Amino acid sequence: MSGRHIAPFTGVGLGLRSPHFEAVAQGNPGVPFWEIAPENVLCDGGREHDTVCRILARDPVITHGLGLSVGGFDPFDGEYLERLAGFLDFTGSPWHSEHLCFSGVDGSTTHELLPMPMTRAAVRHTVRRARELKERLPVPFLLENITYYAELGESELAEPEFLAEILEGADVGWLLDVNNIYVNALNFGFDPRDWLLRVPLDRVVQMHIAGHERCGDLVVDTHGAPVIDPVLDLMRWVLPRIGRPVPVLLERDNDIPDLDELLAERAQIQEAYDEVMAVPVATHG
Amino acid sequence: MVEESVLALQRTLVEAALMPDPGPLERDPGGFAAGRGLPPGDQAAFVRFKDRLLAYRHMVRSDLVEPVETACFVTRALMEQADLWDDCLAAFLASRGVQSAFYRDLSATFLGWLAATGWGLDRWPFLLQLVHFELLTVLVARHPGGDPPEGLHPEPKLGDRLVLDFPTQVVTYQYQVHLATMDAPVPPPGTTHLLAYRDREGAPQWMELTPATAALLLKGQADGIGQAALDLGLSDLSEAVELLASLQQKGAISGFAAV
Repeated sequence: MSGRHIAPFTGVGLGLRSPHFEAVAQGNPGVPFWEIAPENVLCDGGREHDTVCRILARDPVITHGLGLSVGGFDPFDGEYLERLAGFLDFTGSPWHSEHLCFSGVDGSTTHELLPMPMTRAAVRHTVRRARELKERLPVPFLLENITYYAELGESELAEPEFLAEILEGADVGWLLDVNNIYVNALNFGFDPRDWLLRVPLDRVVQMHIAGHERCGDLVVDTHGAPVIDPVLDLMRWVLPRIGRPVPVLLERDNDIPDLDELLAERAQIQEAYDEVMAVPVATHG
Repeated sequence: MVEESVLALQRTLVEAALMPDPGPLERDPGGFAAGRGLPPGDQAAFVRFKDRLLAYRHMVRSDLVEPVETACFVTRALMEQADLWDDCLAAFLASRGVQSAFYRDLSATFLGWLAATGWGLDRWPFLLQLVHFELLTVLVARHPGGDPPEGLHPEPKLGDRLVLDFPTQVVTYQYQVHLATMDAPVPPPGTTHLLAYRDREGAPQWMELTPATAALLLKGQADGIGQAALDLGLSDLSEAVELLASLQQKGAISGFAAV
C-alpha cells in the first residue's frame, strides 16, 4: 500500500458526497478524514470523477463498501476485488469495511442491506466469507453492524452474540455504528447500553454516526437527518469504554444539506468527541 | 460447504422483494415461507415480521427503480399514459437482471433488459431508441474515458484521420427521439443523427448532425478526412475541415493524425 496517510486516523470525519465534491476540491475545510464508497468511484469517469479523485489523492481517506454481500453465497468477483485493491492502494485507506449483511442471491443484487439469519449456520457461513475477504484484501477488513427491520427466519442467537461470534471467528475488526444500534433498539425494544455491554468492544476500529427518521411504525436508518442527542449520548457513552480514540464518521446520504451545515454538525460531534477523550477512562461512569 | 438453511432464507426474502405480486406474502406469510421449503420456526418468523418484510420489499424496489425513474422521465411519461409504467418496472424487477455492483449501471441494465425481452416494443417500436437517448448524455458524462493516442494535432488536414474523444458517441436513430417530451413523449419517425460528447469543461452535450457529417465522422476515423469527404461527395472540403476543427475545439474530437 502507498502509506500516504499513515498518521493515526482519529477525530470525526465526514462521508464524502457528490454535492460537495467541487467545494472540497478547493481545499480541505478542516475535516480530519473522509470516507468514500469505492463503488461510487471505481469504473467511473468524467468531471465529477476527476474531482473526487483529486480529493482522494490529497486527503486522508477511509473506504467503506456497499456491495460485496459478505453474507451472501455468490462468489466474490475477482476482477472487482483486484480493482478494489488498487483503489485501496490509491487512497491509502488504513482498512476497508463492509456491512454484515447480504444484498443478493443467485447472481442478482438488490442494492439493499438485507439481514442475515441469526443462526449458527449463518455464523459459520459468514465467518468463512469474511475470512476469505480478509485474505484477499491488502488492508485489514472490518464488518459493520447493520440496521435491520425483521429477523430473517427463526433466530438461534441474539444479535450481540451473533455479531461477536462472527467478529471473533473471522478475526476481523468492527465498524461500530451507534445509530444502527439505536434504531434497532427502538424497533425491537431493547436498551442499547445493555446491548453494547455484550459485544467485544476491543474489536472496534472505527465508528459511524448518522441520523434516522420515523416512517409510520418503523424507525428507518435513512442517513437523511441530523444526528439526535440520544445517539450522540450513546457515542459519548461507548467511546470511553472502547478506551481508544477510534475515528468516528458522520454519514449523510439523503437530503444532503449544504457543506457548511454539515461541517457545523461535524464540529459539534467533534466537540463531544474531544470532551470525552479529554477525560481519563477510569473516571467515566 | 453450503449452509442450505441460510441460502433458503436468503432466496425467500429476495423472492418476496422481487416477485411482481406481493399477495401471497400479504395473505399468508407462513404459507409463503412453507412453499419455499422453510421449516416451521422460520414460517413463524415470516408471520411475525410480515409487515416489516413488506417494508423490505418496498425498500428494495424503491432502490432498484429510482435510477431508472430519474433518467427515463420521458419514457415514464409515455408508459404512464398507457398505465403500463408500473407493469414494466415490475417485469424488470422480476427478471432479476440486476447484477452489477455499481448502482450507476442500473439504468443501462434496464435498457439491456428491454432489448433482451422486447418488452413494450410491439406497442412502441421506438422504445429502445427513446430509452437509449435518455441515457445517452449520462453515459457520455460518466464514460471512464482514457488518454488519447500520442502525437495528435489540433488542426485537421485532408490527409489526416480524426480521433474522437473517448466518450464521444455518433448515434443514428430511426425516430426523432430528441424531440420527445414528457407532454408529447411519442417521437416522430425520421432518421436522426446525433453527436454526444463531453465539452472542454467535462459537461455532456449533444447536437444534431446532418447525414453527411455523421458519415464523415465515422468514415474519417479510418479512411482519412479527405478520402471520406470524396467518397461522400462533399463538394466543399474546406467547409468539412472547418467543421471538424470546431468539433475539436468543442471537445468532441481529440485531434488528428496522418493516415
